[in-house]
Amino acid sequence: MHEELTQLAAISTGDAAAFARWCSTAEAPLRRALRTFAAQVDTEAVVQETLLRVWQVAPRFTHDGQPHALLRFAVRTSRNVALSECRRRRVTPPEEAPEPTVAPITPDPLLRAHLARCREKLPGAPRSALQQRLDSGGADDDTALAARLNMSLNTFLQNFTRARRFLRECLEKAGVNLAEELP
Amino acid sequence: MTAEEALLVEQVTSAHRERGGDGSIHAHRAWFDLDETGRLAAFDATVELRRLEAALHPRGESATVAAVLARLTR
Repeated sequence: MHEELTQLAAISTGDAAAFARWCSTAEAPLRRALRTFAAQVDTEAVVQETLLRVWQVAPRFTHDGQPHALLRFAVRTSRNVALSECRRRRVTPPEEAPEPTVAPITPDPLLRAHLARCREKLPGAPRSALQQRLDSGGADDDTALAARLNMSLNTFLQNFTRARRFLRECLEKAGVNLAEELP
Repeated sequence: MTAEEALLVEQVTSAHRERGGDGSIHAHRAWFDLDETGRLAAFDATVELRRLEAALHPRGESATVAAVLARLTR
């Protein structure tokens, strides 16, 4: 709890690095909590909007004394953002489900080690497509990334698909089953 | 899933999202072209991809986190 309060204090004062560390552990449970909305709204946009709202609200956020207070607030915020988007688009939201129990997810060092080895084995074009997405960090759309590699959009996307499939299969050979490992 | 739908799913897994004039984050254009099955497939593929991105990043930041950090203002 002490670590959580220290992190919240840093975020509240505008420490972007502290917020990045919090986001890195909060993103996965936050996204998972939105699965019931996946057919109604673009959950990637909802996750990003939610994280930006958390950053804005953090200076005024009051911890309730229970674990993972900021993450629980983020989950509630994300569901409100998703519901608002449903209303805006005039689509029926999913049936209301109880608020899920959430906890931060910390990086898995074993997955990291295996993945680094698998990445080294990626063939050229899929490796380039993956690298473009990683370097961009969401700043550019795929059309721009494809143009940098002198690829058509479809070729870029096919190579990116190959990269994902290659990494998944390589991890499985190393005994890492993503379906079980991923939250 | 058709090859065309698979490419739409792959586009939706990107963390790139356009912003409106009011700063709101728009849904990906390709997302609107997917049916319910495609949207669920895009969700699951994104969950998997973000975990991989985070594991490939030295500080564990996925493309979503990178996109959000680039837009921080206060």
